[in-house]
Formats: sequence, C-alpha cells, structure tokens
Amino acid sequence: MKRSLGWRALLSLLVIGLSIFLVIPPKEKIRLGLDLKGGVHLALQVMTDDAVNIETDQAIARLQEQLKKKEIAFEKISKINPGHFRAEGIKIDDEGKIREILDDFFRDWNYSFSGQAVTLNLRPEVDRYIRDQAVNQALETIRNRIDQFGVAEPTIQRQGLAGERIIVELPGVENPERVKNIIRTTALLEFKLVKAGPAPDEETLLKEFGGEIPEDAEVVRGDPKRTSGGYYLVSKVAAITGKDLRTARRSVDEWNNPAVAFSLSPDGARRFEKVTSENIGKPLAIVLDGRVQSAPTIQDRISDSGIIHGRFTIEEAEDLALVLRAGALPASIRYLEERTVGPALGLDSIRKGLRAGIIALVVVMIFMVYYYRLSGINAVVALILNMIIIFGGLGYFRATLTLPGIAGIILTIGMAVDANILIFERIREELAAGKGVINSVAAGFSRAFRTILDSNLTTIIAAIFLFQFGTGPVKGFAVTLIIGILASMFTAVFVSRLIFDFILLKKKRPDRLSI
Amino acid sequence: MVTLFKQPNIKFLKYKYFAFALSGLIILAGLLNITLGKGLKFGIDFTGGTFIRLKFREPITTEEIRARLTPKGLGNSIIQEIERGHKEYQIRTAGLIKRGEEKPEEIETHVVIGNMVVEALQKPEDAAQIAKGFKDLNSVDQKELINLLLPTFPEEAEEAAKKIIALRDEKGIIDTFEDLRQIGLKQEIIKYLQEKCFLGSLCVLSRETVGPQAGKELRRKAILATVWALIGMLVYIALRFKLAYGVAGVLTLAHDVLVTLSIYSFTDREINLPIIAAILTLVGYSINDTIVIFDRVRENLKILRKLPLEELMNISINQTLSRTVLTAGTTLVAVLFLFLFGGKVINDFAFTLLIGLIIGTYSSVYQSCPLVLYWHKIFQPKKRLK
Repeated sequence: MKRSLGWRALLSLLVIGLSIFLVIPPKEKIRLGLDLKGGVHLALQVMTDDAVNIETDQAIARLQEQLKKKEIAFEKISKINPGHFRAEGIKIDDEGKIREILDDFFRDWNYSFSGQAVTLNLRPEVDRYIRDQAVNQALETIRNRIDQFGVAEPTIQRQGLAGERIIVELPGVENPERVKNIIRTTALLEFKLVKAGPAPDEETLLKEFGGEIPEDAEVVRGDPKRTSGGYYLVSKVAAITGKDLRTARRSVDEWNNPAVAFSLSPDGARRFEKVTSENIGKPLAIVLDGRVQSAPTIQDRISDSGIIHGRFTIEEAEDLALVLRAGALPASIRYLEERTVGPALGLDSIRKGLRAGIIALVVVMIFMVYYYRLSGINAVVALILNMIIIFGGLGYFRATLTLPGIAGIILTIGMAVDANILIFERIREELAAGKGVINSVAAGFSRAFRTILDSNLTTIIAAIFLFQFGTGPVKGFAVTLIIGILASMFTAVFVSRLIFDFILLKKKRPDRLSI
Repeated sequence: MVTLFKQPNIKFLKYKYFAFALSGLIILAGLLNITLGKGLKFGIDFTGGTFIRLKFREPITTEEIRARLTPKGLGNSIIQEIERGHKEYQIRTAGLIKRGEEKPEEIETHVVIGNMVVEALQKPEDAAQIAKGFKDLNSVDQKELINLLLPTFPEEAEEAAKKIIALRDEKGIIDTFEDLRQIGLKQEIIKYLQEKCFLGSLCVLSRETVGPQAGKELRRKAILATVWALIGMLVYIALRFKLAYGVAGVLTLAHDVLVTLSIYSFTDREINLPIIAAILTLVGYSINDTIVIFDRVRENLKILRKLPLEELMNISINQTLSRTVLTAGTTLVAVLFLFLFGGKVINDFAFTLLIGLIIGTYSSVYQSCPLVLYWHKIFQPKKRLK
C-alpha cells in the first residue's frame, strides 16, 4: 500500500501541476466568450444556388457554341432552374450528333431526349461538390477579408461538415455594420465597355437599338450611392475582372477625392491595354456586384494600373480596396443571426457570476466541514483541486468560457461534492455496521464508485448532446459541465482516497475517523 | 457526528398516488395554460426578432418607453426593467414577424426595426447635437476618441481615451462630465471634451437579431438535443440496469421537463437557447439522483431477497435519503446564489435550474421507484422482481 501511495501521490501532483501550468497566466489561457468579452456574432448562409447557377449558365453558353460549330439547328436553350436546362426545337435526325457532343463535353451532366427537346441535369455528386466548394471558398474569402480588416482572434468556421452556414465571431468589435458590409459584398468587379447610357429608363436607353437588347450587351443600373443612377447598356463580356487584379489600395483621384487604386496582373494588363487602346474616347463602366460605380471615358491606353472612382467616403474606399484584395465570393451571402454584446454588459456578468460562484463555494465548503468534520476538509481540498483542474481543462482544450459556462462551473461545485457525500455516507454506514476504520473506508469507496460512475456517465451523455447541438454560449456550458464532471470524479474518488490512505497510514492505531 | 436523519423510515411509496396526482395536476394545469392560456413565451432564438438591452442616463419608466415607441408602431414591444433604478431596460420587438410577408431579407427588416427602437428612445437633443457635429461620448469607440484627442493632446490622447472607455465599460454609461474628473483626467482634456462632445441619453449594452430561418433551425436542434439525450440515457440505464429502470428513468425525466415547462408557462420568462440548456442540465442532474436510488435497489435485491419489492424500494430510498437531501442541498445552495446574485442576464437560466433541481429531487424519490413498480405489475406480474 505504501508503494502504491507513492505513485498515486505522484500522479495527483502531476495532474494538479499540469492544470496550474495550463491555466497560468489565466488572462491569456482562458478564452472568454463573446457574451463576456463583448463583440459580434454572425451566422450567415452561403447561397450555393448562385454557384450552381453560374455553372448552369456556362454550360448553356458552351452548348450553344458547340451546336453552332457543328451546325446543328435548334430553336432555343433555356434554364429551368439551377442545375437544370433544356434545348428545344432540335431535329430528330440530329439526335446522334448531339449525343456525341454531350458525351464528349458534358460529362458532369445527365441528359434525356424527348421528341424535339433534350433536358440536361447536373449530376447530384457534381452538384454537391460545387456547393461544397462554394462554401469552402466563401469561408476562405471571408477569412481573408477579416484578417485584412484586422480583428484579434476571430473565429470563422463552417457549421457542421456539410453545412452551408458559416459562423463568424469577432471579439472586441462593437459596430457590426461596417464588418457586415465587408463580409457581405460579393466583390465581383468587372470593367465593361459602355454602348449607351446613362439613360433615365430602359426605354430611352434602347431607343437606338430598336427597343431590343443587342445579343452581346446587357443592361446594368448605376449604383445610386455612387452615380446619379440611371441605366447603362454595356458589353456582356468584361474586359477585365477582379481576378485580374494584383493589388488594390485606397488612394485619391485627381480632385483629391477618396478612390481605389489598383494594379493588374501581367495577363490582365495585356488584355486591358488592348481594349483601352482600341476604344480611346469611349466610356468604360466599372461594375461592382452588378451596379455601375462610375463610367469614366478612356483618355489613353492603360496597361498595368488604374483608379476606380465613385463618390466614396474614406472608409468606403478603404473597405472596397480590402474586399478587392481579398477576392470575390463565389456565391452571395445572407445573414441569419446577428448578436452584438457591449463590453459593459460582459464585465457586469463576469463580476456577478464570480461573486455568485465564490459565495456558493464558501457556503458549500463551510457546510462540508461542519457536517463531516475532518473528512469534510478532505472534501474541501478535493473541491479546490476540482476547480483548478476545470480551469486547466479549459486552458488545455482552448475552450471558451461563456456566461452559461460560469453557471456550469457553479453547478459543478454543487455536484462535485455529491461524489464526496456518496462516499462519506457509505463510510458512515459501514462504520455503523461495525466494520473497522480501514475496511470501512475501503468498502465505502469501492461501493460508492459504481454509483458515482453510473450517475455521472448519464449526466455526461446529456452534456454530450448539448455540445453536439448547441452553439456559442450553450456549447461553452456543455464543455465546462463535461470537464467539471470528469474532474470531480478524479478529485472526489482518486485524490480524496489518497488523502484518506495517507492519514490512515500515519496513524498508529486507526480506530477512529472524524467523519 | 452530525447527522441529518437517524435511521429514517418514511413510507415514501405510500404516497405514490398522492405524488402522481400532484404531478398530474401541475402538468394538466400547465398544458391547459400552454394550449389555452398565456402559454410558453418563446424568445427571439426561436421566433426571430430583435432584442436590445439599453442603459439610460436618466431614470425612465416603462410607460414612457412605450409611449415613445408607439408612434413608430412598436408599442407592442416587450419592455422589461433589468435593474431597479429605472435605468436599465431590455426591449424585445414583438409581433413583428406577422408584418408583411416573410421575405428572405427578413433579418434586415429586424435590423432596421432595431435601429428604429434606438432612435425612438434617444432624446431629440441627441440627434440635434450629432447634426451639429458633436460626438456622443456614450457611443464613440476608442479609435474615434483617440483621433478626436490626438491633434490637441498628442501625448495623452491614447491613455485618456482608454480611461474614458474603461469608465464607460465599468458603469455602462457616463452620467456627467464630473465622472471624468474622478478617473484622473486633466482639467484641460475635460474642458476640450465638453466643447467637442456631448453625453448621449442612452447606451446600447447588447443587441441581438435572429432571422426566422435561424429560429427554425435552432428550434429543430433544441428538440433533437433533448430527444437524443433521453434516448442515450435510456439505452445506458437499460444496459447497466434493466429495461424497466431505463423506461422509468426516462419517464421520470419527461415528468421533470413537463413540470418545469408547466411552471414556466405561468411566469413571464421567455424560453431561449440557454433555458433549453438549463432543462437538459436538470435532466442530467435528475437522472443522477434517480440512479443513486436505483443503484441501491439493485444492491438490496441481492441482500434482501425475501422482501416485497415495494418495501425494498422504501428501504433503499430511506438509506439514500440523507445523501439525496445533502446533495440537493449543496447544489441548491450553489444555484440559489447564482439566482440571487448572478445578475439579470443569467437570471432566467438560474431560475430554471432552481425549480428544476427541486422537481428533479422530488421526482427521484416519489416517481422513479413507483414507475418501476408499475412496469413490473403490468409486464411481469408473476415473475419474482429483480
């Protein structure tokens, strides 16, 4: 027994020492949740339909091109919904040729012929892959943007493995509006030649084209914040896009107004030079997310750098440069939840939570010593060690302490002494039955252990599901509860037993026990 | 030796009909109240909406707040005072989900409505001051404040700004410029701030907006968490004990949840995510209690073979009684302090734990064993019970 006492003492000291090491200094090791520290919590959904839509549009364009190339007649190709389109008015005789094209160039699509039409469906696994990639890419882009915006310790993660939701937590940020805009901007930048406009409405705009939109053009509106509004007719194909940018930064235009300066990649520069040199004197629209920001006239050939102006404020120019640097989102984003907690509320919560916790701890300790005398001190030691291990555990798992988490710790105080009480009551029973002190202690521990194990494991089962389905504060609560229960099993069963054994060993004639 | 009970011998199972009737009555009243009466009040986590906590510089009454919100069509918001002193309030925009059709941009609507609440409650002077170019010292962030001070006080700007923000965080709102003197700010700085700034009439402590879609999702998850937790425990107990005990344990828990919800329906408290967490915790706690008793029954079945089950259960409950009361007592003390001193934010959560603990302890003693007894009477009437 003496020898086993040695390694048990060593193990206990090791765990305690490790816990203390893990939690010092507490300000760095214990991460506070947003509800305590203050900050912004955002839940957003990636509209992956957008990504599938783009894929579908591209496939339609490809099919048109191929059919024309092979001189196969068709009436029209139309999109039914994302991942689903149909070519109509084809000749029955051409079916074989079309099949060939589809087999060669549309491997990602399932097709079926019915009379004069062929319907194409995106394969389910490809659909899943595209959506999955869209979310991953969005996650990466958002992370980039937030890193550039400069927030300390942001949390940006996908919810669930195949989820289309992203959780963004930004501690210390008090004004969510600006960050929300930075995250949400799709930031799809396109430079397109202007064919007509701006005009007050579509009718006036299309007058010289006979009221029809030319095949190679499209109508876009001016951003009401940046231009005088109105409609523009611009070429469908962009001269360059945001992908061709090398860098972007806030700058000023020749009138000293805030603007965004950019430089282009070598390939983009070549294409831009060609377009600008061929169109000197014509206006070029700068389109961001489908809205014209400005449409300056091309004065000269531009190759590798340029400037975007509109009516920006300094912050807006800065944010636009930021999102252009970080890249475009593959799909649009919709906000689902938005929670902002000011630091004042968090401070107040910490203060009150701590006070409640300390009072509870003290009262429970006094009670244990009163009721179980010297053995009660044993329980008090176990309780203190339990607290240390909980904080060590929080530090080790880099878990976040939330307000419900503090409540979880306070609840653990109550539940941790339960194991002690179970054991002590057992020992008392054994003593009352006339067994010796050493035997009573041994029997008390071994009999109570099974009860403690069963009852604590069921509580852990409940906590695991809380963790699985909870978010934010609730998750924090589940973590502290699980760590607390495990810690209490260690301290109340293992450490407390060790203390008993140690005391009993020291005594010459252990015939009395203060319990 | 201090003891709570000297060899107790209370005939707990004698009162089983009374206990069933009592619980049944509470649940019935609760269900009636939920379906026909005031019902459960779900918070924004489940319904969607905006929830704002505000601190005012000057005392204000609930009626006054409502009077200011009514012209904006927000008079039906739920307004609650957080702390005595008529300065801190929480406001939940209510019934706004019904406004117009459910658009995908709904959360934006909620954000706009939230802005309307804040604007409506700000004094007209605030807007006038801002229009004149003054900064609100109760809403500027640290960066802005530093930028404001930097040109005139290049050396002290950062430290002064930090002190001011710390004071605001500490108090929730800065009442008078006099407060700034007490944190050791130089007279010149205070004078400068008085010229450039004003003290806004309110400060937003927190603000939460949940879209209807997220609400639906959170509701689904809460139900899933509860159901899976119950199934998990049923399986565990059935494996460690017997099916009868598993079923009785889970029925006891269902009883706990129902009684808690019933009592909850008679209060003004709202059900949000943390409340679900509290209910699941008490589920975990109550099963803990129940298992201690089941464990003793299991043990006694081996020792006292001749005894009828009902009597054996009674003995088991009595043997574990001091433990049950002691544990419930210490836990209750801990939660009680959380309830009394934990602050308003955690109050609903602590309240749920508090009533839950009492119900959980009661049900472990009065419901769990009788349920096992009935299971045996129904399914194994002839077999010797184990």
